[in-house]
Amino acid sequence: MQGAAGATRAEAEAAPSPATTPATANGGAAASEAEGGRRAKRIEAQEVDLFYGDFQAVAGVSVTIEPNKVTALIGSSGCGKTTFLRSLNRMHELTPGARVEGRITLDDQDIYAKGIDPVQVRRLVGMVFQSPNPFPTMSVYENVAAGLSLNGGRVKKAEKDEVVERSLRGAHLWNEVKDRLDKPGSGLSGGQQQRLCIARAIAVEPEVLLMDEPCSALDPVATLAIEDLIGELKNNYTIAIVTHNMQQAARASDVTAFFNLEETGKPGRLIEIGPTETIFTSPTEQATEDYVSGRFG
Amino acid sequence: MPEVARVEYQEELERLEASGLGGLDLVSASLERTLEAIEHQDVELAQLVIADDDRIDGRYLEVHQSLITLLATQSPVATDLRLISALLHVLKNVERMGDQCVNICKMIPLTGNEPPADEEMVKLILTMGRQARTLISQSKRSFEDRNVEMAQDLVRQDDVVDNLNRECFGLALAIGDDPDRREWAMTMLLAARAIERIGDNAVDIGEQVAFVVTGLFREFEDASHPNE
Repeated sequence: MQGAAGATRAEAEAAPSPATTPATANGGAAASEAEGGRRAKRIEAQEVDLFYGDFQAVAGVSVTIEPNKVTALIGSSGCGKTTFLRSLNRMHELTPGARVEGRITLDDQDIYAKGIDPVQVRRLVGMVFQSPNPFPTMSVYENVAAGLSLNGGRVKKAEKDEVVERSLRGAHLWNEVKDRLDKPGSGLSGGQQQRLCIARAIAVEPEVLLMDEPCSALDPVATLAIEDLIGELKNNYTIAIVTHNMQQAARASDVTAFFNLEETGKPGRLIEIGPTETIFTSPTEQATEDYVSGRFG
Repeated sequence: MPEVARVEYQEELERLEASGLGGLDLVSASLERTLEAIEHQDVELAQLVIADDDRIDGRYLEVHQSLITLLATQSPVATDLRLISALLHVLKNVERMGDQCVNICKMIPLTGNEPPADEEMVKLILTMGRQARTLISQSKRSFEDRNVEMAQDLVRQDDVVDNLNRECFGLALAIGDDPDRREWAMTMLLAARAIERIGDNAVDIGEQVAFVVTGLFREFEDASHPNE
């Protein structure tokens, strides 16, 4: 480590290592280091109810999404897991008539508090969608740089170049696209497009990455590449992923949350959350057992 | 309520459990014949037990292979995964118990046609063997019923076997100076030891029952730390 050569051991340990700590948007205040990365922020939901007009989609969800871990949300279709995910960066409210009750905090900051700009929330809590959705008319480069203007003000070209390269490297895509940065992003393969979307999401250095079935449109090789990437990204980000693929939840997550609904028309609820290992070897709830065993559904 | 899914997989798993545990019935029959061979010094019956062990080994291989296929193709998790893991253990126990019967039967011709038998010792070994058969059937029943209490009781039942084994040892020590009688007693001690191991295998099966039910594996009795 540079600069630590002449320092005492205690000093060396106390010194932060700038090389491994990417600057965060808020000046690095939240960047107490996790191993090999930085500490991202924790999301806490308390008694969250979600509605589409009169219909209640989710009821009474209290859950902590731990920083620098991958939390998988599983459950059958219609159980509210995607709706819940979308409430974590205020995307739920974009649906007409949709509303949120309860409290969701990002490291103690209520993201639904008065005066909080939803655009800022979405910058801190990025989303990667089911089917890769690069901006079709933009080049690979522009796709990654697209989010930077959200920060306001102009970004210098050199700085932009650096962010684009760092993001593409972070998404394991740099080597495949470095010679065609000016080509349309839509010309990439499905797996590459999804990694491009991940690069776009991390370009703005969010705290949290939400992923809504990010591999459901990908072949197995591209899927495993994304899963490996997820495992690496958690060093710097808090990750929540909705997946229908239970083996993916088992492979790629540290914590698994199971959502279920009693019957059609009733709201989805969080049934059980725990270490992924426990959920897949000895879950506590019978409903969880039945779901992960594929016995119902 | 949604429909029940994966019916074929569930049926296959149930079939494999029944078939694997059925191996315990084969072992029990094998041990019964082994005891009869000891009692009557029946060399031919002993040969039959040895030959018949192929059936137990065959059961082991067949069920083992099918369980591996289920693991590879069905991605079992939770209770199903614990059940399959436990069955793989139980199969090994079944195979070992069968081998112990073979070990005993191989000794029977060694003691000669009219061995200088000590009746009391023969009686002890037969009692041990019958107790071991009780353990085998109790282990099977506790697995089928997922009955942890019954599984734990195997330890108590096994203590009976262990005590009889020690008694055998005492009798062998006191058998006297006649070389033929001493040789016979040594051979019988090996037979007693083999039966004692069968009891231990039954207790191991009980531990797997507890694992299937609770998800926690722990030895009922730790041989290396007996007083903890």
